[in-house]
Amino acid sequence: MESLGERIDRLLASPPYHLPPGERSLVLLEMLKDELEYAGERNSGLQNYIRHWPVNFRLARRIADLPFLPVGLLKAQPPLSLVEKGEIKKTLTSSSTTGQQPSRIVLDSPTARRMTKGVVAIVQDFIGSTRRPYLVVDVPASVRGGPELGARGAAIQGLQPFATEVTFCLSQSTQGELTLELNKLLEFAKNRRETPVLVYGFTYILWNYLVKPLLADGIRLNIPNVHILHSGGWKRLQDEAVEKPVFNEALAQVFGCSPDCVIDFYGMVENVGIIYPDCPAGNKHVPGFGEVIVRNPLTLEPVAEGEQGFVQVCSVLPTSFPGHLLLTEDIAEVVANDGCSCGRRGTCFRFVGRAPKAELRGCGNIDSRR
Amino acid sequence: MNDFTSVIDSPEQISLAAERLRQTVMTTEITPNTILDVYETWAAALGARETADIPGVAFLRLWLRRGTLEPIITRELGRGALHADWMEDGRARLKAYPIGVVGHWPAGNIEIQPILSMTCALLGGNTSLVRIPSGLVDQTRRLMQKLDQGDTARVVTGRVFMAAFDHERQDLQEAMARAVDGAMIWGGAEAVLKVRELPFPHWVRLAVFGPRISVAAMDADTWGNRQERESWCRRIARDVWQFDQQACSSPQVLFLERKAGHSPAEFLEDLRKAFEAENRVHPRQTIHPALTSAICQARASWLLGDTANSALFSLGPDWTLLVGSGSEIPKPTQGRTLTVLEVDDLFDPISKLDEGVQTLGLGMKDPEREEKLASAAARRGVDRVVKLGRMHVFAPPWDGVDLIRPMVRMVRHVRSTE
Repeated sequence: MESLGERIDRLLASPPYHLPPGERSLVLLEMLKDELEYAGERNSGLQNYIRHWPVNFRLARRIADLPFLPVGLLKAQPPLSLVEKGEIKKTLTSSSTTGQQPSRIVLDSPTARRMTKGVVAIVQDFIGSTRRPYLVVDVPASVRGGPELGARGAAIQGLQPFATEVTFCLSQSTQGELTLELNKLLEFAKNRRETPVLVYGFTYILWNYLVKPLLADGIRLNIPNVHILHSGGWKRLQDEAVEKPVFNEALAQVFGCSPDCVIDFYGMVENVGIIYPDCPAGNKHVPGFGEVIVRNPLTLEPVAEGEQGFVQVCSVLPTSFPGHLLLTEDIAEVVANDGCSCGRRGTCFRFVGRAPKAELRGCGNIDSRR
Repeated sequence: MNDFTSVIDSPEQISLAAERLRQTVMTTEITPNTILDVYETWAAALGARETADIPGVAFLRLWLRRGTLEPIITRELGRGALHADWMEDGRARLKAYPIGVVGHWPAGNIEIQPILSMTCALLGGNTSLVRIPSGLVDQTRRLMQKLDQGDTARVVTGRVFMAAFDHERQDLQEAMARAVDGAMIWGGAEAVLKVRELPFPHWVRLAVFGPRISVAAMDADTWGNRQERESWCRRIARDVWQFDQQACSSPQVLFLERKAGHSPAEFLEDLRKAFEAENRVHPRQTIHPALTSAICQARASWLLGDTANSALFSLGPDWTLLVGSGSEIPKPTQGRTLTVLEVDDLFDPISKLDEGVQTLGLGMKDPEREEKLASAAARRGVDRVVKLGRMHVFAPPWDGVDLIRPMVRMVRHVRSTE
């Protein structure tokens, strides 16, 4: 009989977006049930949670009925783990605002390997499998360090399998300020007119430390054969009133490429091995080894096409931490349950933003007891 | 028709409105009896389709009845107060006079609170300047239109100004504070603190209600009684459902006293059924997404945090029972999330209460023990001890404070001819 790991690997080996939604749901439902059982056996708290879920997960007929964890639970210290301490190879940390606890995601070797494979399978579907020079609009320190790796570092490393060489074009002052290393960048850009190139940066870093200075100085890089991937969200750019078309157009000007070469992707370290790049139709797609359920905040039921709700990410990849069914605090809109014009099968959605923070909650809202 | 809620954009609008209200209170005297006539008509009108669906309207209609308010006026202001008569007090006589313009800062979570707060100040003969929270403008307008229909002489409506503006507009908040002689402030910790810091005149009278939380407790003879158990569960569900558990009088935790031979399993099953039934009758119409997140987080944290804990909850965010043991009040989640904690002795959790707890809802079989428990709770700072199912019944004193008296001056007259 095939082991859980073998079944996950088999799913990972298939093209990520070809399975019809019904078929994929059946495969994922059974695998996720087995993974819940596996997770419960390894974590008694989780077992307690699963046991009290209103639906017996073994009898569930939809992925939506399986017990999900709010993503905030992954901020627990020590981190929620399904493996022995000695098996942990790396801990990923999420980006978090000041004063907030970041998520901590523990990876053992099999999960780390699947994480790489998952990202490669997805990105390959968007930019092809050729290895190419890789320009990272960030500082080398983002991927250095001890056993912990932040969200920026994880994204940078996730794309390294596509690289023949890696160039970081930012530096950081002792005060922590980022600066563009223009000479290094121009050196990288030299003679790249015919070469395929991969560029990655956090959205706000690309804008503030590459696009703005180059546009201001009238510098063009002349790399038309580029794919520019970026992630990290739009909040900071929205604060500067920079919309996506403006952003894409500006990057296209700087690199001398088409705005279609700019690909925004949504991802979170908690959802290891899965990212959600925009397709040419502007939608985000879910690979065959995962699912996205958009839930109505009022009922927590999946929403219909055209409706918005909380994003729940599902993945069969992790076996080192309980990241199989995670309810996030992000809001998305389901565009269609299948049939995107780009040809990718299954749910396609658009990211809307973070759920608003709670308003003051009345006279029963005490901040602290005396 | 007057829509009663002016959208305010400048401090001058508030100053002008306050000046008009001050002229009214200085030049016209109104008796509580006259106001009660208007309130009676208003209570009847509120049963109409346009207002019947506003949460709390059933209670508001009851509140506005003469039968409810007359005893309160008499208790707080004295026997002659209903007709604004002087009352003999030894060789002197006493009479309640308004303090002037009363500003109201209601909480944004109770739909009828702007009206409730205002009605208290008006009964003292005051005029009222009410800030309407942005989420309550429509409901307040509908409620006030019903008042207007029956108050053709503008006996009450002429003494009210309702100001709608964003709570972040510090200039407007300050203008309102400067213009009032009294303030009734309701709300959460942050809101109350912000209002208290406003530049009120030195003579202002402040009445602050909240922020508080409330708890419930039952002895084993009550929760273990098969005949009465369902009825108690319905009462608890009712207390949890009203105001979506966001009011200061909402129970956040229920302490169950253990007793040998009594298992709470059957009680919890009845409580689950009562919650489901209440949810069928009063399903949520909307929810703030952050509350949904908080509810999911509370369920998971509770069950992952201690394997001895258990829980009962719906698939959606409709209701949650977090079951465990211990005598500490857990951090409230609200949103119909009740923590049920078993304790060996009800006096344990009561001995840990403080002034942050407003109401203790009780289900007790032994009246003598209940008296001792109520006294212990009162000593710890609890202001209301009531039967479960009646935790939200709005009757003074509230938060240990009268509702009309704080906003009147008791004038003492010793006749010079004596």
